[in-house]
Amino acid sequence: MSIRALWVVSHEKGESVKVRFSRRFPTVEFRAKSLAGAQYVSVPEDRVVPQLLLTELGLVDADKPYVDARDDCARPHRSPAVELCVNGRTLWPVLIVTQGALILACLPLVEAAPEPRPPLPSLASVSQGLALLSGLQDFLCGPGGKPEPDVLASRLATLPSLLLQVCPLGRPLDTPSPAGSVPVAVSPSPGGAQKQPAWKAGVHRGRAVVSVALTEKVRSMQYGKSSRQDLWDVFGMVMCKCEVEGVLPNVTVTLTLPPNGSPLLDILVHPCVTSLDASILTACSVDENDGSAFSGPYKFPFSPPLELFRLCSYTSQVPVPPILGSYQLKAEENHLKINVVLKLHESVKNSFEYCEAHLPFFNKNLMGSVEVKVSSGQLEVSKEKNLLVWVLGQKFPKAREATLEGTIHFSGTVAGPTDPLCTGLTAYIKLYFRVPDLTLSGCCVDQHSVQVYSSAKPRIVTTRELVSSEYYIWNSTGDAPVSSGHTAL
Amino acid sequence: MTIADLWDQRIPAFLLSPSQFLATTTSESFLAELIHELRNDKANDQLKILLVSVLLEHPTILCPSTSVGEETALELLSVYSHTPQKSISLKCNIMLAITNVIICTSCLATHTKMAEDWLDLLFQTIQDTNDYRCGLSQQPLRATACDCLREMETCSPGLLSQKLEALYLLKQQETTVLHQSYCMLYTLGLKNAIRILTNQKDVTDLEFKSILGGNEGFAWKSNQLGLTFLPINMMVQVPRLPPGLDCKELKSVMSSLLEESYLLTPTSQSALLRELVEVVAMVPGLSPTLFKSQLLRLFGTAEVELMHATLFMKETFTDSLFTAEDENFLLKRLVSTAQHPLLRIPEKLFYMDCILHFPENRPISSSGEESLPVLVTPRLAASLLPTVFNDSATMLCRLNLLCLVYLEADEGEEDKGIDYLFDHIMALLKIVDGDGSREVVVTSFRAVYIFLMHFSGMEELSEKLIDKLCDMYSRQCRLAPNLIGLVDRIQECLGDHVWSVKLLRGLQKCIMEMPPLQLTIHNLSWHLKVLKRVAKEGQITQRNTIYLLLNVLINSNLCERGKWQVGNAVLAVCRNLLEHPSIDQVFIELADLLQYISVHYDDTDIKDHARFYYSLLTNLSWEKLTGVLAKGPDGGRAKERSYSATMAESEGIASNLTVRKTERHVLRLVKVQEKSLQSSSESSESLEATEETKKLLEVYQEQFQVPGFGSEVTLRYNLTHANEADTLFNRVFTICLHFELKDLNYAKVSDIHVPCVFRDRKPPEVNVKLRPFQPYPTTLCVSAIFTTQDGRSWHSQLPDVSVSFPEIFLPLPLPLNASRACKEEVFDRIWEAAASGSPDKSAISLFCFKTGDESLADLIKTHFQGYLITDEKSKGSWKVLFFLPPMCHVLLMITQAEDAVQVSIASDNWELLPFVNSYLQNITDHCSTTGTDG
Repeated sequence: MSIRALWVVSHEKGESVKVRFSRRFPTVEFRAKSLAGAQYVSVPEDRVVPQLLLTELGLVDADKPYVDARDDCARPHRSPAVELCVNGRTLWPVLIVTQGALILACLPLVEAAPEPRPPLPSLASVSQGLALLSGLQDFLCGPGGKPEPDVLASRLATLPSLLLQVCPLGRPLDTPSPAGSVPVAVSPSPGGAQKQPAWKAGVHRGRAVVSVALTEKVRSMQYGKSSRQDLWDVFGMVMCKCEVEGVLPNVTVTLTLPPNGSPLLDILVHPCVTSLDASILTACSVDENDGSAFSGPYKFPFSPPLELFRLCSYTSQVPVPPILGSYQLKAEENHLKINVVLKLHESVKNSFEYCEAHLPFFNKNLMGSVEVKVSSGQLEVSKEKNLLVWVLGQKFPKAREATLEGTIHFSGTVAGPTDPLCTGLTAYIKLYFRVPDLTLSGCCVDQHSVQVYSSAKPRIVTTRELVSSEYYIWNSTGDAPVSSGHTAL
Repeated sequence: MTIADLWDQRIPAFLLSPSQFLATTTSESFLAELIHELRNDKANDQLKILLVSVLLEHPTILCPSTSVGEETALELLSVYSHTPQKSISLKCNIMLAITNVIICTSCLATHTKMAEDWLDLLFQTIQDTNDYRCGLSQQPLRATACDCLREMETCSPGLLSQKLEALYLLKQQETTVLHQSYCMLYTLGLKNAIRILTNQKDVTDLEFKSILGGNEGFAWKSNQLGLTFLPINMMVQVPRLPPGLDCKELKSVMSSLLEESYLLTPTSQSALLRELVEVVAMVPGLSPTLFKSQLLRLFGTAEVELMHATLFMKETFTDSLFTAEDENFLLKRLVSTAQHPLLRIPEKLFYMDCILHFPENRPISSSGEESLPVLVTPRLAASLLPTVFNDSATMLCRLNLLCLVYLEADEGEEDKGIDYLFDHIMALLKIVDGDGSREVVVTSFRAVYIFLMHFSGMEELSEKLIDKLCDMYSRQCRLAPNLIGLVDRIQECLGDHVWSVKLLRGLQKCIMEMPPLQLTIHNLSWHLKVLKRVAKEGQITQRNTIYLLLNVLINSNLCERGKWQVGNAVLAVCRNLLEHPSIDQVFIELADLLQYISVHYDDTDIKDHARFYYSLLTNLSWEKLTGVLAKGPDGGRAKERSYSATMAESEGIASNLTVRKTERHVLRLVKVQEKSLQSSSESSESLEATEETKKLLEVYQEQFQVPGFGSEVTLRYNLTHANEADTLFNRVFTICLHFELKDLNYAKVSDIHVPCVFRDRKPPEVNVKLRPFQPYPTTLCVSAIFTTQDGRSWHSQLPDVSVSFPEIFLPLPLPLNASRACKEEVFDRIWEAAASGSPDKSAISLFCFKTGDESLADLIKTHFQGYLITDEKSKGSWKVLFFLPPMCHVLLMITQAEDAVQVSIASDNWELLPFVNSYLQNITDHCSTTGTDG
């Protein structure tokens, strides 16, 4: 369960590809050599690694239409592990994670006979390598995912000392915590008989506060056609931050659903959860759910780490989408007639933090005149992007319905943005909204249901919110791409 | 620039490419500099950590042998003990570096004293549980020591097997976060100890129990079993202890480890679980139900490594731990996690891989190949159907999985599912047709390939696919290489030519029907590529191709423009046409075409080739023609190949004119053993012994004003066959030996030509002349180009030739007739100069060793004979001088003292001292030696 080498490579546009950080683990290499015998392939020098990774990711020779080593159709490109071709020999399995211009890669040790090539799941080091890379990704990129160059540089500079703790000799001991997540008010463990958890550097001192934040995201694909079923689904996560004294304090968070609420599915929990009821795990999205499934309350007893963590996540299948839309385009000579209706479902609270509809137009010349009216909110036109932004604001009108109507002329001579999917009348509206204090599944964390077994009575803060994610309404007069095979069958 | 800045540049340069960095220096001197700087009290911790990182990452490059490793570890240890307590991070780094050096240079495996001492020190460090003695600030050091011990146990399994009781106690005592390190160390030791015991024939209860109660030294001998253990894997026989042993104590240890596993980080938890699973698998007295209490927690985990460990448990224990219900449940979890919106893409891809290698309780086959678990039904897998919104890896992975699902499915479901997948492929191709970046194109062709690999037998669908691909090609001829690649791969992997021939026929038709306006120069080059590929298929008639080519050449200005590339591409099609089996049917047309080119094309080379093809076509039977055109090494004698080397296709020419590479070593250089007359190349004018002695040194030094004086070392080798060479190479001719240096310490070595080497004759002698800039040991990469009897040319690598330090020694470059007194005088002068520090790089040093009288005389005779300046055996004193080109001297004054032999060393280049030292150590190895620096 070790990795032989680790790399962080960046390939910013216009700059040459660079190794930003690398680390090799010679004792692991020593084992790799003796395990693989004649099949041993040594780790190439850092000088050549970036190019090898880029070839594998299909990022070399961007100007050439076809390169065998990169574009061959028989190359297996469907695994988290890739092969690097080093002087005619094959180095495998190299795990790669990319985020923006950063490429993180590591080479897990193959603890098995090298021939025939063992299946990836038979190698213990692979999941450890994946976990390490994910941890590094969070550490380097932070929650935003796109750190400023100087922030990234300073985080890279701390990597050597970080690895000294989490992976000193190539054997991962822990995953790095996300940047900036380690809290301040921590004192060393008091000693005594209770062993300090390895995932908790010390104990909290000071006022006891427990915050539980429930975020639900809703996705939707609406086609407005009888032949094609509309889709929507919900997934949620419970983020916790517990500032509670003690080495191993006990906290229990309970999620409840309203009566007749549809059950929470595919529940995944944080490793700090101490025990789980079997009934919590049984509901699964790949099963037919017949309504007889367990529907709460969902109890999660745990002993919290110091930092903010994701206690659990779930998916849910709710009966209606929060906003139902219809989108119709008609092409007439060089203009498009456009008609949009958005309806807010009655069960959804009419109080948004923000709500916007984006209408992009692809593969056309730039917009000329735009004669479009909206029944509510404002319209912003971005002609250079061929984009209409309909800002609905905090509230739908009383009737819970808003419309947009008009014509757009594409009379410009310059070609606008392109998209391979949206040809002809294939077009979409993408919705962005956030509703505080609401979940679609009805799931909630009652402030009083949070139990903390400790001497000081903590302040308990619970919040919930609904946020849109990939919420599309397709033009019903065009061909929309199939987005889920599940319902298509 | 400060010294620190200099290191800030040098270290990254080394780490980026050790081989390039060491081309300008040697590893010995770089290592010496590193150690020197580490000992510098003024250097700050940050710089020292940077310096240590070199040894942390590349110990074997800097310490190529066990002895160097041991020395380096000793040096580092002394740096370690001189580092103040507060420099915690530096101390941890040095600790890791020492461990790396000791393991990687086999100090551990060969049980050196250093390794033993180091283990003791590490073990002592971890005794301080709960930081009782050294305080919290030293905790990181203890953590590092635990991990070092764990690595040493991994690389030398069983090392800790007699210390388990002590380790157990430490683990119990520790209550800080470090208990994880102790726990992991103990568990690994326990597992390895049991594993070693399984190799024993009969195991008594007492022996079994003594594992847990061990409290002795390190078990050095236990690692004869091999360097590292492979983890226990169900594909191989599991080593087991005999049944009936009393496992009560072990059981309670296991339970407590499992109970506390919750306190470990997920990464360490997964490692712990795997070790414990292996223990239970090896000990029949332990039941897998031990893990039952952990299962529910593991099933719900969001951590990939814990889920993976659970699958390992499943694979190992199957139905003795997992009921059929559990199995069904676990598989459903896997399918749902493989598409969970909150997990990352690489994890989801991994879970899909896990589905295809799911350890079923009742597997139908256990080949280790991808196969679908019986329980994965179309309904279960429906959530994994690919869509155009997936990223390319996810999409291809899902497509592959679903293809397997529908291959196995019942009829009704099968049709619906395959139709969906087909529609999906069509949707992808539509995107490609719309515009499609390169990535989309490549992904779509990969999808088509996966689909065909499973369903090429479904005629209706594969016909539709051909129509779609041809239709796309008519608009986007840039897809030509993708289409050709697809055809080639399908033929290779399926061995099925029906589909690919249909596609090629379709493409040919498509090109024929293209309106002439679309046949621009740019498009034509793609079409010619396709037609060239089409011409390879014997089942496709080629008449239309020839008409088209003729038509294009006649009706356009191609011939007048006479571009070589276009002409060559046309001829490439013709070349394949010449080989076509039904050439008879189009004989006249092809002849017309070739003749037209040979007359009208405005490029002489193309004309010539066309004429050549024309004469081949009109004068040879088809069998002969294909014989002539056939490529490849089986083509017979050299003359025939020279015809085929004139193929029009540029790649063809290249491949036929290429110098082939031999797979193995054919030749090698063997050092001529007898001590040669190593002499400097030029002889100097005679030096009069009567000349004033003071001037002698000056006169000696003046010799070096003559360019090239004394600058060359000649090494003699025999050029022989390597052991395992093919009989093809029994006689090789016109050999050209080419030398590449691995560093920049020598001038380029010129090529050497040898007329022939026959296996049954005396090997020819080769004199390699080296001109050092720095007289360091080096390695020469040697390659040879030669011809075999059949006229083919070969390029072959020879084994590297290493030039050791003593091989560069030359005697004092004085004329042969120079008197002994004269030599001694020069020796003394140089010595004096060196001792007084002139030139700047001079240094003196001392080396001592013990030996008997006899062996000392022998030693001097064997090693120093040619270099002796004075030989006063009676007095027990000798003077030896090695001259090293271009102008270095190493002087030895050997005196036999009462209890040891003292070798005083003087040199005008201190950088040579490490080599001198290791050379002396080498030749005096059989005596006990002690070296001291002066």
